[in-house]
Amino acid sequence: MFFIPGFVISLATFPGVIVHETAHLFFCKLFRLAVFNVCFIRVGNPAGYVIHESTDNFRAMFFVGMGPFFINTLLCVLFCTAAFLPVWELKIDDPLAYFFYWLGLSIGMHAFPSTVDLTHIWAMAPSLAKKGNLLAIISLPLVALLYVLNFARVVWADLGYGIAVGILGPIAIFKALARA
Amino acid sequence: MREGTCTGCGQTAPFGSFYKIADKLFCEPCSWKEERAAAERGEKLAKISVVDGSFCARCKTRAQDSGSADFPIFKGVPLCPDCCQQVQDWPYPVWLKASLAGLLILLAVALIHGRKYFHAGRVMYAGERLVNEGRYAQAVPLLKEADEIAPQSDNASLLLAKAALHIGDITTAQKALQSHAAGHFETSGRFEEVSALWNRATDAVEKANKASELVNQPDKAEEAESLMRQAAAEYPEVPQLAASIPYFEGSTAFYQHNYDRMLTIFEGLWKSAPSATTAGTLAGALSCKYAATGDQSFRTRSEEMLEKSRQLALGDKQAETDYQEYSERIKHRMDTREIIDKQEYDRRFRKSTDKN
Repeated sequence: MFFIPGFVISLATFPGVIVHETAHLFFCKLFRLAVFNVCFIRVGNPAGYVIHESTDNFRAMFFVGMGPFFINTLLCVLFCTAAFLPVWELKIDDPLAYFFYWLGLSIGMHAFPSTVDLTHIWAMAPSLAKKGNLLAIISLPLVALLYVLNFARVVWADLGYGIAVGILGPIAIFKALARA
Repeated sequence: MREGTCTGCGQTAPFGSFYKIADKLFCEPCSWKEERAAAERGEKLAKISVVDGSFCARCKTRAQDSGSADFPIFKGVPLCPDCCQQVQDWPYPVWLKASLAGLLILLAVALIHGRKYFHAGRVMYAGERLVNEGRYAQAVPLLKEADEIAPQSDNASLLLAKAALHIGDITTAQKALQSHAAGHFETSGRFEEVSALWNRATDAVEKANKASELVNQPDKAEEAESLMRQAAAEYPEVPQLAASIPYFEGSTAFYQHNYDRMLTIFEGLWKSAPSATTAGTLAGALSCKYAATGDQSFRTRSEEMLEKSRQLALGDKQAETDYQEYSERIKHRMDTREIIDKQEYDRRFRKSTDKN
């Protein structure tokens, strides 16, 4: 396993960082949370951030924290689907396809929410889950898994996730289309 | 920035760094002391962070500059009216909206530009499904389309080759395999499967070709028949190989002078598949029987079959050429009652076209 400084990865995959922060911002606006500051991309750690008011609304906290996971994953599948066939399956050298694959993977590998976001959700979820809150129940295994994956970023779990989503997503879509 | 003085130690510091306990200001270390002392007395203190509303927490504008003593506290943070408006509805930057629009346009371009790829992918996956279901003949046209668009795709080429080999279409399989990166594939389970299938097919074809070379040689007819049987057994996907075995059996019978067996075989062929060729071979067998026995009925039947062969060959150039070739020999056999094979007939009566 080789080490590449975080800021280099962030710069090489900057669309993913921007989409990640935009997803946070989108859900903050959706749930009408006050946003005190936003940085979409910078050279530093973290590569971007959204500072917003804290909330007791679990749904708002869940979607603001997990928003990038859903939005980045969705966009990764979308862009990789546009590029998957020529790049992976048909082995056609198409520059536009390669651009979209880079874009898709960049977005996909920044899907994991930060440990801070996950910690906030994790702090509220157990008590709500005991009261039967479905979202809290669903969030527990998901947050636990993402927490572990977040630590596994040192062994490129984020890139692995992007590649997995960028390949398995389009395969599932095209196989379903072929059955139709 | 407003300043305050700690009730405990008398230190002067920015107002916002203090805590308020029982309406008195304390710096952070003194607030801890107060908390500890209260805890020893068994009391719990209400400790509140002091917010300095004299300036905006975001843009640092002083409240007095805008004509007010303090800015309102919004969500625990002092904010000027402009910043207060912004934090309640943070706008998406123009460059972000422009980038998103640009990306959507690019995506649309990619989707339009990639239509042929989507089509190739769709037919390839559909072809793969048919191959997995064993419906090879239906899969071949779909996979041909995919292979034409993406000849460098391992999957498209291997699937097409597999489907083609399973229906005995070696030419298509060969084209698919050779047009792909000069026949080079990444090693995979599918590649090994197709490779084994290809080797089996080509081995069978080699045997069949060898059999065809030997079939007209007097001392090799049995070997030819055996080779063709092996080829048919090895590659049953090509029914023509098995279908050609009776011709080889007939040839063996001819060279063994077993004209009864030869007649039985070619009568069977004619009944099962009437054609110019089967009519011609039956005419040949009847002519042998006539030459061997002198029985006129065989000659009559042979002539009838020759006429049928001629009629059936009409319109088919290859069949007409073949008819010209064998009808001449059969007539000679009946006229002379001498049974000679094609090689001998050619040697005696036909000019060689071989330049060597």
